[in-house]
Formats: sequence, structure tokens, C-alpha cells
Amino acid sequence: MLTPLLVLCMTFSFAQEKTVTGNVTDENGLPLPGVSVVVVGTTTGAQTDFDGNYSITASEGQQLQFSYLGQSTVTIRIGASNVIDVQMQEDAETLEEVVVVGYGSKSRELSTSAVSTVKTEAIEAFVPSTSIDNILQGQAAGVQVTAANGRPGNTAFVQIRGVGSINAQTTPLYVIDGTPIPIDTERDFNPINNLNPADIESLSILKDAATVSKYGSRGANGVVLITTKKGRSGDARINFRSSYGFGERIPDPFDVMNAAQKLELERQYAELGVNAATSLPGANADDAERARLIGLDTNWEEELLRKSVIQSNSLTVSGGNEDITYFLSLGYDKNTGIIDRIKGFERVSARLNTTYNAKDWLTLGANISLSRSTTDLPRDRNNVQNPFRGMYDYNPWDPLFLRDGDGNIQRDSQGDPIYNPTTTGFPIALALQTEPEDRRDFTIIGNLSADVRFSDNFSNRFSVGAVSNRFNRTSRSIAGGVLQGFIGDANFPGTQTDNFNLDFEYNVNNLFTYSDTFNGVHNVSASFLLEYNENIRTDLRATSRGFPSPDIPYQEVAAEPTAAGSEEARRILFSQGLFVDYDYDGKYILSGSVRRDGSSRFGPENKYGYFYSASAAWNIANENFMEGSIFNNLKLRASYGTSGNQNIPDNEFLNLLDFNTYNGLTTAIPVGVGNPEIQWESQAILDIGIEFGLFNNRINGVVDYFKKNSEDLLLASPLSSTVGDELDDIFANVGEVENSGIEVSLNADVIRSENFVWSLGGNVTFLDNEVVSLVNGEDIITGTFGNIILREGAPLNSYYLVRYAGVNPANGEPLYLDADGNVTNEYSDNFQVLLDDKSPIADFEGGFFTNFRYKGFGLRGDFVYRKGNHILNIQRQQGIAIGNINRNQRVEAFNYWKEPGDQNVLPSPRFQNTADQAGTTRFLEPGDFLRLRTLTLDYNFPRELLGDFGISNLRIFATGQNIWTLTNFNGDPEIGLGSAESGEPGDQGFVQGEFNLFSYPQVRSYTFGIEVGF
Amino acid sequence: MKNRIIKILLVVLTLGFFACDDELNELQPFIEGNPETFFNSLSTFQNGVDGIYSQLVNYYANPGSGMQGIPDILSDNVVLVQTGRTSNEDYYDYRYVPNTAGALQLYWSECYEAINVANLVIGQIDNLADGPEKDNILGQALAARAYAHFDLARTYAKIPSQSGDANGSPGIVYLKVEDGDTGDPFAQPSRETVGSNYAEIIGDLETAAQIIGTGNGEGRLDRNGVYGILSRVYLYNGEYQKAIDAANQVTTQLATASELEDVFTDVSSAGLVFELAINTSTETTNNNVGVLYSQSSADAVISEYAIEFEFWSSIDPDDLRRNVLQFVGTNQGNDYNAVKKFLGEAGQVNGRVDIKVIRAAEVLLNKAEAQFELGQEAAALASLDELRAQRFASFVSGGETGQALEDAIQFNRRVELAFEGHRFFDLKRRGENIERSTAGDIIDGSGTPAEVQTLSAGDTRFQLPIPLSEINANPNMEQNDGY
Repeated sequence: MLTPLLVLCMTFSFAQEKTVTGNVTDENGLPLPGVSVVVVGTTTGAQTDFDGNYSITASEGQQLQFSYLGQSTVTIRIGASNVIDVQMQEDAETLEEVVVVGYGSKSRELSTSAVSTVKTEAIEAFVPSTSIDNILQGQAAGVQVTAANGRPGNTAFVQIRGVGSINAQTTPLYVIDGTPIPIDTERDFNPINNLNPADIESLSILKDAATVSKYGSRGANGVVLITTKKGRSGDARINFRSSYGFGERIPDPFDVMNAAQKLELERQYAELGVNAATSLPGANADDAERARLIGLDTNWEEELLRKSVIQSNSLTVSGGNEDITYFLSLGYDKNTGIIDRIKGFERVSARLNTTYNAKDWLTLGANISLSRSTTDLPRDRNNVQNPFRGMYDYNPWDPLFLRDGDGNIQRDSQGDPIYNPTTTGFPIALALQTEPEDRRDFTIIGNLSADVRFSDNFSNRFSVGAVSNRFNRTSRSIAGGVLQGFIGDANFPGTQTDNFNLDFEYNVNNLFTYSDTFNGVHNVSASFLLEYNENIRTDLRATSRGFPSPDIPYQEVAAEPTAAGSEEARRILFSQGLFVDYDYDGKYILSGSVRRDGSSRFGPENKYGYFYSASAAWNIANENFMEGSIFNNLKLRASYGTSGNQNIPDNEFLNLLDFNTYNGLTTAIPVGVGNPEIQWESQAILDIGIEFGLFNNRINGVVDYFKKNSEDLLLASPLSSTVGDELDDIFANVGEVENSGIEVSLNADVIRSENFVWSLGGNVTFLDNEVVSLVNGEDIITGTFGNIILREGAPLNSYYLVRYAGVNPANGEPLYLDADGNVTNEYSDNFQVLLDDKSPIADFEGGFFTNFRYKGFGLRGDFVYRKGNHILNIQRQQGIAIGNINRNQRVEAFNYWKEPGDQNVLPSPRFQNTADQAGTTRFLEPGDFLRLRTLTLDYNFPRELLGDFGISNLRIFATGQNIWTLTNFNGDPEIGLGSAESGEPGDQGFVQGEFNLFSYPQVRSYTFGIEVGF
Repeated sequence: MKNRIIKILLVVLTLGFFACDDELNELQPFIEGNPETFFNSLSTFQNGVDGIYSQLVNYYANPGSGMQGIPDILSDNVVLVQTGRTSNEDYYDYRYVPNTAGALQLYWSECYEAINVANLVIGQIDNLADGPEKDNILGQALAARAYAHFDLARTYAKIPSQSGDANGSPGIVYLKVEDGDTGDPFAQPSRETVGSNYAEIIGDLETAAQIIGTGNGEGRLDRNGVYGILSRVYLYNGEYQKAIDAANQVTTQLATASELEDVFTDVSSAGLVFELAINTSTETTNNNVGVLYSQSSADAVISEYAIEFEFWSSIDPDDLRRNVLQFVGTNQGNDYNAVKKFLGEAGQVNGRVDIKVIRAAEVLLNKAEAQFELGQEAAALASLDELRAQRFASFVSGGETGQALEDAIQFNRRVELAFEGHRFFDLKRRGENIERSTAGDIIDGSGTPAEVQTLSAGDTRFQLPIPLSEINANPNMEQNDGY
């Protein structure tokens, strides 16, 4: 689809004057890419390519101006020569990295806060990822990222500096170019998914009070500021990038049985008196039947899954002149996913970012992005309706299609093979085709801004941002399909449900700033913020039945509608803030902020919350006594402040009545018990950090210590069912947790020579946490299956399980420890105890990279790692459960106790009741892993080879993702969601990474691509 | 000039912003009502009462755990079908523990939700003017509140007639708004005794019987419904004369032999004293009660539980009830004695039918049993024969006496009410063992038999455990013995 556009854009102007070319290097003689080259007095401009080469059209006598951040600008008059090479010098005055912080940007030197920045370069190494949050993994200290699961287009769980809130929504606040993005993980609503990673210039992750306090009530989970690319003045630059690849399931570290093995296990179990085994073929089949079944041996993974196709194209055009700059981008992404017979994920996106210098005192900006994605929604549940459970469950002696007596595939009257319902009664391969469900999201994210400079001291920024997402979901049950046979009505073949949600959030803010300098050394600025934010959601839904043809998926043609509904919800946040900054000669820096938020989510008594911060920094490197030292940057900083969390559903402070029907008549029932006392969850963060750069910044790093106390935690607290609440819970402020830790990030250019560059970098976050207090000191038992506990003084989200004491070697009986620690052959929920230092939260985690460049070749590897977390491996429990003998089993199941003295064995199948318990330490495994997230090999063609094709750069690359993992976990250790339909964010008790239960697994992939610039 | 314009603009904007506080305070819920103000008219009160019924539907008609099936799965009426999904196997094999999913979680919360709506209605009843209409609302709410408590009590606690120690043993929490039992969401109440529970259940029902209307339409309680419930509750409580008296107040006629089949396809409402009406798939969202026993498609009937072979064989071939109990269900080449009562309305196999909570036949059987217990054998036989006359093509009284009569009453009760959620409670309240046969699941009695053959009277598993979530949330809640 991009081809026609490409052609349109490929009109080049080859003026007759003359073409000046040359090479730009830094003071070490290394090529400098991205240097802006402008013909002074004109709008003609160019940029140097990766090798520092440029080409520009100009006439003799004109002047060329070379400028680059951190380098002194060079101006050279064009003489007779057509070649002008330039060596630029570092400019100490202008060498300042700008960091995007709350409500504006600052030079990193003057920042008092812990901010991690991820730049385009790092983003582009992650080609196969369609979602930004996945890309953040391992890239920044203090940011814990886990993919929710491996479904293409799905989001990731991002936590900044630990779990600071025990209610499920701990997603940070995302702000794109100043527009806050509403995310509701409970509804799977996350417009971030629809952002094209190629549009992103940088991500700033705000972690400490000095910055997050400015976001007040929404800052407690941290803030991720996303800045999209802008045009630069000069000739249009066109960049096209295309990649193609495939993905597959990461192989399991264990085997499942084949038909012969499964039949043998059935036989053994039946012999041992396992009731459910006695009716299975392994127990009953004669030799002929057994041979026939073995002949049908089916590898269900092969039948249900496939290699996915991953495709990505993007085209960007950017440029501008002194008054206008533009950045235009188009993107197309497709990932079919690894489930066979459905389509997977597809996204088309477009963006236009523009800035206008309308007057010398007025700058206008307009950014708009449109994107549409479609994805199907296979069931993520714990039975064979989920192909990822089905592939382990279906018996290998059950073939995909029904066979006749001669072993031939049976066909229906149309000649199509008939799917085998199998012993499970549910043929998922057919159901994926007859019970399709998909969603389409159309997202508009826009931002308009006006910067007004009244004078040198007074300025004002007014901006309006909006996010609009149109969500359509269609769920069908096609006549003749798997479910219609059971729940359909023969007179009304087929059912269909359509949902339409429109989420609209707008944000208006005005920031009035005064800044001044006194005596040349006292720099002061103060800003006053007003912000109004409203979120409006409207939903429509309809269901009909009786479709004339499965090919017309519209309710218009249905015989009759059976259900319909509409609803609306709103949330308002209204805020004022005052931010003050002071520095003395760039050496001593003080900042402070105060913000007042009013939220519609709290009752009249608790509507408003106040949040403040104070911070200071000392730029030691700027002191006179540091002159001539190896440090070119050395800064100490400290901050303390508060922020809040209001990530709870609307109206939790009210008692509500819900309307429904009984026998077609209206019913009124209480739907939730309100708590008028609930108030802001608040968080206080102390942060002390040191930043350093050595040897001309060849080594630089940041070390931060933080302590984050989250008080008045909002939690849907379990209630006695006798209250009669629909959900048996009530939102309340239940206690306090503390997260503390140390973050280190370090980068080094180990080798920096003309042809060879080797850089290394990495980060680590050590995290410690504790439940400080709970209401009345009472424990709270949580987790999807009640296997997690919150207890004062204990680490957050500790496992709460029955302790397994192994198999009695005398008789094969599983043994447990009772609550008092005595060995018993009984099993009871009363034996559950808090397990010290075992929780789904890692002790430390992070990522590192190594990057080699030799001439045009590059090799970059990004690793992520995690240590100290535990995962309840319920998939393993299910794969060897004695009661699941009617489903396929892991080969490991053969290793059960057979005779006295057997050790290191599974319990004897004769003790099914006590052996088949999942909530025990028997299945709790360390989740430590080290994973090569991406490995990218690329080659930049030298300019000489590109010749006069008008191509300024050409790069080819190959990337492998998740191609190597080191772990002892018996399965894939990257677990976000266990099983979406058992528990997902927003559900009571959900704890991420608690257990695995057949959610869409992680995928490894290989992609190949090309990038061309003009 | 430019500065002045912009400053004015700024002031206007700023003022506009401060007005936003109003927006913030005036935001109201869009699709929910206010339970403190909504109940202000007869029709809104009826909405609340219908809300109570909808909560009863939630646990009676649940496709996985409905009270129309679990008490049969817990009994000797059915056998687990090996080619099914082995749903509810933990219940069938008596393996349930406090955190076992399904029925024991569902009943505990849904009953109290029904009670909560009832108390909301009862607590505000004085918003209505005195008169028969107010009384009818109050009567329905009181009766439904009592019935939900009764379901809790018979599930989680002993039944008074079950054993001598029952009345003094832990019952459930009985919540009455008029006694100030409600209103505190953080309340952590303790269990009362079985004796006090039954006194309050009967108290509510007796009050309701005096004031409720005589005809409230399909799916609602009325005078017959309340007396029908009372006949059962008195029987459970060992108050046999009162059971007889209550049964005599019920005017609903038995479904005749010719009507019987139509009753279970919802064509006829003959003999229904109290039913929960389920007439739209919207309300069930296709999760129909029959799924408890089987799911049917064009190709197969996937039975979860089939009729226990010996029970099925013991039913007289001339007994017309055979036609409403069984059909041949085939799955994976095996035939089963599939359960027919919940197959669906006429012409359907989707498992959606009304929930028959109390039928005239049960009331008559309650009466016959009570009469027998009081030694009124002739009257008991007459009551039994009144039913049997409608269940056999050509009926001649068996003329039983003594033990034979008692057995006949119980056997007819088992056959008449099979799969309607009675058997477990009937064995439990009579203090009898549950004894299953060694017959298998296939139609001819071959196949896999029940893993657990016997549950002896006095076994603690006759009282389901209080859900773990309740024990966790409410430290004052005492767990039943044995868990």
C-alpha cells in the first residue's frame, strides 16, 4: 500500500547550480551523522548520513552552515571546490542534553530528578515489537516490564519502582506530546498499543517525586513521557523501512506423551485403580485397536499452531524551513500470531507533526496521529477452548479429523473433512473458525499547542490534547459451528454480538511561566498550571440471531435482535499546580512543586488531594576545583515528595442500584456497596542519586537509591458475603507498603576508533518491599486462587501455600506439612502458610546490551534478566494431574512411585485426592531467567556504493527475538497473565506473574529488513 | 497591544477553569440508581422484589452449579459420565474443601445477595401506603428472604430432623433489616444455631403467608407458594402436623398424567406452586440450567451425569414418569440414560427451562410423609395414592402399610422429584446414608461406577464447608467440622 506514496514522494530536485558533497567528523575524526547542513539565507538544507556524508545543492559564494547539538556551529563559504569536509569541535557551552520532564523539558544538567530516557536508537533495535511498552523492557533502570502474554498486539505490564499499589491497576501514566493517555487495563483498553514505534523520538520515564509530583494524582505509578519525532529545517528527508519475518512458539523444556506412551500410562493408571482411567482405550483396547490408535499418533501442537508471519513497513518524510517543520509517517504492521486458522494482528497508522513559527512571539504546534488495528480474540481460558491448553490436553490417539473404519478421513456432504470432537467434546480447530471474535480499534491522538512569549520573562503555553478511540468488537457463533449445536436455536441459525465503544478523553492545560536571572547567577523560574481533564465513554451493543448466511456478518440481515444496550461513563480531574525552579550559576539547583487535584472518583469529603515535592542538586563538575578532573559530569541530587493514585473504578464511594430483568421484567438490585470514606492513595518518594560522566563521557552512569512509601492503599477488600454485595468486596484504604531499592545504569564506549566501536551498557534494579501496615493488622488473602497473602512486616504479595513434604518412600503417598509444621498425609487449606521471601516479585532485574560496529557492520544484542521471583507452575500441575488422565500428560507422569524405597518420584496415582493439589509448594518454582531479547546484525552500505541513485543511506538488517534463554523454570519464565479469564488486571486478587495457566505464550522470531533513506 | 489581548484571554481562560469545580461535583452515575431513593412506588418496589427472584435464579439455574442439579449429583440419583467434561467431579466424589470452586461458593454469596435485596425492600416498605398492595410486596420479600436463608441453612448446616444435636449446632447468619442486622458493610457476624435459624425462617414465612396475595403471575411467590415452602420447612423441622396443615392450604392442582410431559417442556404450568421463570436467552446469556446434566448438539449428547442404573431399573415400566426422566443420549459411541427434565422447552435441546422450585406433587408428598410420621398411615396412603393415580396409566393402590408404606412414600418422592435438587437434602434430613450402586455409567450399567460408594449418615460432608473466602474475610465465621 505504500508503493504509490513512495513514487509520489520520489520527485527530487536536481538543481543545476552545483552539488557540494563532503564528510563531517567530530574532533576525534569519527563520522558525525545527523549534522544539519543549511545554505545560509535559503530554505535549502540537508543532513549527514550515518557515515557523516552529506550532499547539498548550492552556488559558489553562498555559505554553508553546519550545526549539531553539542558542537560549535561552523560556517564555510563555498569556493570552487565541490567537496567541503568539516571537522567539528565540541562546544562545552552547548553540550547539554535536554530531558523531557513534566510539563516541559530541561537540560539534563539542571535537572534535579531521576529520569530515564530511551532514545530512538534503542527503539529501532526492536523491530518485531508492535507495542511500545514491550520495547521498554530492560532499557531503563527501575522500570519493570513484563509482556502480558505473547498475543500479537497485546500490551505489557509496566511497573516503575515496584508495586506501589495493591489494587490491580499499576500502569504508569503515559503522556504523548503532552496528552495524557487513558488506560484501563480492566477493559483491555490501551491506546498505547496503537502507537507506531517508528514515530517515537524518545521516551522519558519519570520515577522520583521531583517530577511525578507534578502529575499529582496520576503520578504515583510513575510517568512515561513519549515524545514523537519532529521535522528539522532543511530538505525533505525520506526514510523507508520494511521488514519481514516469522515467529514460533518457544519450545518447552519437557515432552508430552505420544499415543503409545499415553495408552501405556492409561493402562498403568487403570491397573492401579484410578477410576477415570478405567474407561479409556489404554485400559480397554485390544491389540488391534491399540495398534490403530498408535497409528493415529497426532502432534496437536502441529495441528493447532503455525509459524507466524511478521511484517512491518514504515515510511517517513520530514523537513521544513525556518517557519514550518513537518514530520509525516505512515506505518503498516502485521503479525499473524502462532494460532493457526485465525488472522492475528494488523495495524495501519499515520502521523503528521507540524510546528509553525506564526509570529516572533507565537509558536503553534499540531500533532495528530490516526491508526487502526484489528486483532482476533482467541479465548484465553483454562480449557480446550484455548488452543494453548488444547495442544497439551488433546490425546495423541485422537486425530484432528474423524476416521472411518479403514482409517480414512471422514468427509461431510460438501467433501470437507469432519473435525473430531475428541474425548474433550470440543474441537477447537473448528471452533476457531465457527466462533470468531475480533476487535477493531480506531485511535486518534492529537495535540494542539500555542507557545506565547510575552517578554523575555513571561511566557505561556496553552495546549489541548485529545484521545479518541473507537472500539468495535464482533463475536459470532456461526450456524453449524461448535457452539451453535449446543446453544443455538435451529429456527434461528447463528448468533452475533457487536460492541461499539467510544472512548474520548480531552485535556486542556495552561502553563504560565515567569523566568528571570538576577546578578547573572541567580536563575529563577515559576510556572502556574491549570489543567482540566475529562474522560467520556459511551457504549452500544446489540445481539441478533438467525443469519441467512455465515458470509454476511451484519445484524441487519438477522431474523431477530435478542439483546441491546447502551451506557455512558465519565470521569473528571481538575487541577492547579505551582512549580518553582532556582539555580545558582548551574551549580546549586533547587526545585519545588505543589499541586491540587480534584477527582470525581471520590466522595464530597475527599474530592481534593494536595501533592508536593522538593528537590535539590549539586553539579560538582561545575565547581572550579573539579577543573581538569576526569569527570566531565558529576552531580548529586536528592528529592522528596508525594503523588497520588486514583486508579479505581468510578462511583466506588456510592451505594448503587443496578437494573436488569427477570422474566422480562425490570429488576433493581444493589450492585456494589459504596464506601464514602475512600480517599486518595498517596505515595511519598525519597530519592538520592548520583550521575557521572568520565573520560569525555566514554563512561557514564547513574546510581539512585529510592524509598517509596505508599499509604492509604486503595484495595477492593474482601467482604463477608453476608453483606450481600455482588462482588463481595469494597474499595477501602487498607494500609501501607514500602518499596525501596537501588538502581544502577552504566554505559561505556569500550572501544571508540575510526572503524571499530564497541559499546556496552546495562542497568539493574534491586528491589525490596514490605507491607508496613494493614487495617487492624489483619492479613489480606488475595491472588486469583487465594494463594497470595498480605501480612504486616512480610514482603508484598508473599505466596500463601501448603508446604509439600515429598512422597512417602514407603507407600508413595504425598506428604504435606500442617500449619504447625508436622508432616502429615492429609491435605487441607488450613495448612496454608506465608512463605518467607517467596513472591512473584523479583529481587533484582534489568537489562544490558553490547553493541559492535565495524565499518558498515553492526551487531547488537539486548539481554533482559530477572532473579528472585517465584511462579506457581500450574501448567505443570495440570500436565501431570492424576485426575487429568483423560487428557494428554507430560512424559514426566511416568515417574510416579512404584515400589517401596522409590525416591524423587511423583506421588502414586492411588493418592489422587491429596496428590492433585495445585496450591502447594510442590509447584512453586524460581522464575529466574536471562534472555537474549534481541540480537540484531546490520550492514550500512558505504556511500560510494550507493552512487548517484539519490539514495543517502541503505541499511539491511536481521533480528532474532527471544532466541536464547537461560532458566531452570519448567516452562517459559516470562509470565504476565496466567489466564485472562481466570484473572486479569482489574479482577479482584490479580497479581501479575503469580502463576502460569496456558495464556498465549511468548514467541521467538526472526525478521529481516531493509531501510532506505533519500 | 498583543500582550493586552492575550492577557485578557488568559484571565478569561483562568476564570473558566475555576468554574470546573462545579462540573466535578455534579457528576452523577449514568446507568445506576440510588438505593436510598429509588424505592418510592409500587412499581419500583416490585422491581426490587423481582430482583430477589433474579438472585434466586442465579444459583438455581447456574449451568455449572445450579441448585437444580448439585443436590442430585451429591446423591445416589446420578452417575458421572466418563465421556463428559467431568464437571462437578469434586462434588460427586465428595472431595470438596473450603476453596473448591462452584456450588459451595455460589450458594453462599448468591443467597446473601437475594437476602440483601429483600432487606432493602423490607427496610423501606413504609414508603408505600398501607394496604393489600404493600402487604403483597412485603409478603413476597419476607418469603423470599426466608427461602434464601433456608437454602443456606440446609446446605451449610445440619437440618433439625437430621440428628438430635442439630438444633444446637452452628447454623447460618440470619439477617433481618428490622433487627438492625444490615447496613454495616464491614460487619463480621458469627453463626447462629440451626434452631434459631429455623425459628426465624418459619417466622418470616408465617408472616408472609398472612399478607401475601393469592396470584402474582408466573415466576413469583404467592399464597400457594408460601404455604408450599412452609410444608417443606415444617417437614425439615419435624413439625409434622404443621406440615400437613400448610400442605392443605395449597390449592394448586397436581399435574395430571397427560399434563406431566408438557410441564417439563414449559408447555403446561400444571402443578407448579412456585417456579423461577426463565423465558429469554438474554437473561441466561445461553448459560442454561440443563448444562448441569448434558449438552446436546446435532451429533452428540455430551452428558455430564446420567441416571444411576439401578435407580433407573427400579422404576416400574408402567410409571409414566419414566417419560419425563430419561432419554438415550449418545456420545463417542456410547449410549447413556441421559437426564431429560432439563433438555429444553418444546422442540429445543438447549437446556433452558423454568426452574420448578415447588410442585404440587412435592406438597402432597410432604403431607404424606408427615402423616406417616404422625402414624396416620391411612391418610398417608391416601395422599400417596392421590399422586400415584396420576402417575400410572391404570393405577391400583398398593395398599402398603408400615415400612412398606414409608418406603413407597420415599421411593415415589425420589422418582417424582428426581433431578430437581431434592435427593441429597431428603437423605440428609432423614439421617440416612447415601449408598450408590456399583453399576457403571453406560446405559446397560456397564462402564465406570462411582468412585465413592457410600456417605454415611453423620459424615461431616453432609454439611458443605463455608467458603474459604468467607473465612478469610470474616474471622468470626466458624468453619464446619471436618474441613
